[in-house]
Amino acid sequence: MTRVLVVDDAATVRLYHTSLLREAGFEVAEAANGLEAVEAAMIDSYDLFVVDVNMPKMNGYTCVETLRSETVGTAAPVLMISTEDRPGDADRAYQAGANLYLVKPVSAERLVRVATMLTTGKGPDA
Amino acid sequence: MGLVRKQQPEPETAPPLDTGELIRKLDDPDPEQRREAALELAGEPDAVPELLARVGLETQPRVRDAMLTTLAGHDTEAVAAGLAVHLASDEAGLRTAVAEALATMPLSVPGLLPDLLAAPDHDVRVMTAMVLADLPTPEARSWLVRMITDDTHPNVVTAAIDALLPAATAEHVPVLEAAARRFPDDPFLQFTVRAALPGLAGTQ
Amino acid sequence: MAGATSAGAGLSDADFDRFTEYFYKRTGIHFTHAKRYFVDKRVETCIRSSPYDTFASWFAALRMDKPDMLQELINELTVNETYFLREDYQFDAMLNTVLPKALAARGGVNRIAGPIKILSLPCSTGEEPYSIALRLLEEWDQIDHVDVEIHGADIDSDVLAKAAHASYGARSLARVPKAWVNKYFTPVGSGRYQVDEGIRSAVTLHKVNVCDTAAMRAFRDFDVIFCRNVLIYFDELSSRRAAENLYGALRPGGHLFLGHSESMSRISPIFTPTRLPEGIVYQRPTGAK
Repeated sequence: MTRVLVVDDAATVRLYHTSLLREAGFEVAEAANGLEAVEAAMIDSYDLFVVDVNMPKMNGYTCVETLRSETVGTAAPVLMISTEDRPGDADRAYQAGANLYLVKPVSAERLVRVATMLTTGKGPDA
Repeated sequence: MGLVRKQQPEPETAPPLDTGELIRKLDDPDPEQRREAALELAGEPDAVPELLARVGLETQPRVRDAMLTTLAGHDTEAVAAGLAVHLASDEAGLRTAVAEALATMPLSVPGLLPDLLAAPDHDVRVMTAMVLADLPTPEARSWLVRMITDDTHPNVVTAAIDALLPAATAEHVPVLEAAARRFPDDPFLQFTVRAALPGLAGTQ
Repeated sequence: MAGATSAGAGLSDADFDRFTEYFYKRTGIHFTHAKRYFVDKRVETCIRSSPYDTFASWFAALRMDKPDMLQELINELTVNETYFLREDYQFDAMLNTVLPKALAARGGVNRIAGPIKILSLPCSTGEEPYSIALRLLEEWDQIDHVDVEIHGADIDSDVLAKAAHASYGARSLARVPKAWVNKYFTPVGSGRYQVDEGIRSAVTLHKVNVCDTAAMRAFRDFDVIFCRNVLIYFDELSSRRAAENLYGALRPGGHLFLGHSESMSRISPIFTPTRLPEGIVYQRPTGAK
């Protein structure tokens, strides 16, 4: 089964993303900030990371950089989802190592489509 | 070889520096020196303006965290106001670290809320909801209800709902229902309210 | 009562979820529904001993950061017992991985300058620092080639006095092999055994508050720190400051062990988590960054 780590400090967002991905057949684990995600990724391997930007202790950009660094060293795809839509945010996400950057809210169909595309390499772009 | 007792006489730790010397150390080129100085300035009111002036410019997250730990120990209006300006920062690390620090300042943050809730930048209002989520004051709930009821941006309203839910009770059901009616096209908001309502029915 | 909020009736599903989410956020300890009965009972105990008569009013007060209430709750929900060789797998990690790494980073047995330094904080009545000493003496193949300093520190002078006296009963020694007891302890009557002078004198005890930055300046250049099951008791700012002070006490590259249910991810990002076969340990980064 394809394993996803949903990383968000907002419990409601974790519930939303987790429910949608589970319904679509993904196996989902959760982390409540970037540092928790880093620790989770050291213990288990994941096929996709869905990462928020504004989080306490470690924000999303630093989280993705750390996931890509030798500390964790994962090559799994990273989808960043943020409330922010300032100019430059998407660039910052791609610099950190994200594969895709979306702005909230993300519809159910779009989240599942993008998650499928990122984990299988198939399907049209969102 | 083997287990040994600490060598006597121990190498003396350097005598503590005075406030002026510590403030000068805040500009040391070595980040570890700056980090230590920021921590050692705990409880020193004269250092507050110096730390506030540097917290937005500091490039090393570890040093910035130490400055914020010391600043948050002063739960005063001047510190809260000096930090709150960074909620609008383009740098995610700075604005989230500042939100965390503000969330530990229950005495002074409420005074800033009227301005923060009226901030034209909706991202600042989202960060304000993050602060209120953890702010240990009974007032937090009523501020969050106000955001959920009045704010025009759906991302602010969903952030405020997320912050309110852990402390929400049956009396908040109408507040959530009204928010769901205001944003019928926001799938996340609709989902969140639908998921939360059953759990609130029996609470007081 | 509707909503099952009064003590004795158990928590409602929604209350249980809210409570466990809060407790997780506050302490990093997660209780699943499998622990439902246990959590219900312990929370009821806390409500009964509080001035509040419903879960809702008790929970509202707890959330306002009442340190005494949180401490009582944590005591109820965690095993807060100290005995020899507790959470022993972390000592395995120290012997198998951390000390060899520390030694290598400092130039190896022949070139290391100064002792390997290990700190147990809080050391409570001494079981932890003496456990470290026993395992090093019995199981570390380099102990005859390297100097090792062991330090214990606690805020409580009563427990420090007991640590200095170092006499323990059967319950505390239950996990210590008999041969080790015979070799390193002396019977002192009433079924109690005292750690031998050789080990007692090698462990240096200190009274210190880990949140006090000025006092913690005396702790420098440690290779390993054990700080287990204490940060969960601290409020947000105190645990942050404690973490900053522990960082300052470690040498760059030094390792920090937290209790097995604790995580630095709820406290501070200044350490680098490192995965060892025995679990996650935190390292002070070596680089200038």
